[in-house]
Amino acid sequence: MNSKILYQNLIRFIVLILAQIFIFNKINLGGWLNPMVYPLYILLLPFETNKNLSLLLAFIMGIIIDLFTASIGLHTSALVFMAYMRPVSFRLINSSKNYEAGIMPGINDLGYIWFITYTFFLIFSHHLFFFFVEAFSFDEFGYTLLRVLLNTLVSSLLIIIIDILFKPIKRNR
Amino acid sequence: MKNLILFLIKNSFFFLFLLLETIAFLLIISNNSYQRSSIISASNSITSSILSFSSNTADYLNLKSENKKLTKENALLRSKLKESNLWSNDTFNIYMDSIKHQFYSFKEARIISNSFQNRNNYLILNKGKIDGIRTEMGVISSNGIVGIVNSVSEHFCTVISILHKKSAIDAKIVSNGYTGTTYWQGGDYTHCKLKNIPSHATVVEGDTLVTSGNSTIFPPGLPIGYIDEINLEKGNNFYDISFKFSVDYNKLSHVYIVDNILSEELKKVKEAKSEF
Repeated sequence: MNSKILYQNLIRFIVLILAQIFIFNKINLGGWLNPMVYPLYILLLPFETNKNLSLLLAFIMGIIIDLFTASIGLHTSALVFMAYMRPVSFRLINSSKNYEAGIMPGINDLGYIWFITYTFFLIFSHHLFFFFVEAFSFDEFGYTLLRVLLNTLVSSLLIIIIDILFKPIKRNR
Repeated sequence: MKNLILFLIKNSFFFLFLLLETIAFLLIISNNSYQRSSIISASNSITSSILSFSSNTADYLNLKSENKKLTKENALLRSKLKESNLWSNDTFNIYMDSIKHQFYSFKEARIISNSFQNRNNYLILNKGKIDGIRTEMGVISSNGIVGIVNSVSEHFCTVISILHKKSAIDAKIVSNGYTGTTYWQGGDYTHCKLKNIPSHATVVEGDTLVTSGNSTIFPPGLPIGYIDEINLEKGNNFYDISFKFSVDYNKLSHVYIVDNILSEELKKVKEAKSEF
């Protein structure tokens, strides 16, 4: 892996954690919606990343977020689950190009429709895991599911907007 | 043995996933228990120092409204002073120290971290063991009650908010004196349920709920909320009451910790009672 991609990912790691803690954790609409944008880091990891490494990165990132939200283990378990689902999503979602080294999972290389489906699928799996572990029971099933769906919509939308805003300028090939 | 190791290596992705999830769940479970929730971050000096920097900044931005609230409260207290009242008959109002015994004392504290969006919410305050804070002290704001101290570290303490699955606080309806128990259902942080009010009591929308004083944690008569919905299902002996909190938990920044000075003595009396 070349060093440019390494630094890019390192900076993304730090910036997303800071943004989550200081900006998005303070956003709260009616006590219901609490957007989470930090999974974007796992979403944007290069295709050739070692699968075990992506699990470990998810674990570390989750622990850091957890320490700042006073909910040890919650974000960690959900993010690890999401990292586990990532290879599944590659298999499920079709794309016009092959997932080969050098192609990044983003709008630039694979287009809007692919990225939106991909984001939606993984954020949904993350939120599903997160809110059911948070409730720790199936007592209020409908209520929890509603929270999952609403938060998935908001988080995915924010993540897609962030990706559009910060995507690098398209290179001519 | 060789085959087992080969099998593990071949499926390392799945087994690493299982291992990390197990660790995460162990963390969740060991921290979910009431007493151990302290580790969460009260004891973590790095995160709490960063969080206190962030709350310092937020404090500065809130100064204006906070000042307004404080001056209002000062004015109220000032108007209660002996000097600012006309005493028609002094002889009945003089305090005698030998018959008056202070029961509750208050300490000011600042919120370092506050949550209200989760199913179970906690606060962290900037007062700890060295300020004389102990577990099971009450926490109130100038508008009403906030929660109960859950664990204490050297400089910080965590508070179980009233917005918590296990929070149950005795609340008295001012107009008729009936006492019920609060239960927060999650979701909307401005509303809460009141249980155990019998159906023969007359309850009106807009009634004020105050602390009953049955527990030794909160002084009696502190506001909790205002009733805004009353339902009675057929065949049910108890009302289904929903009320609006008097405190906006989104806006909290300064609170008071209540110390019951005689709590040790009260505990002893209770223990003596339970021996029979």
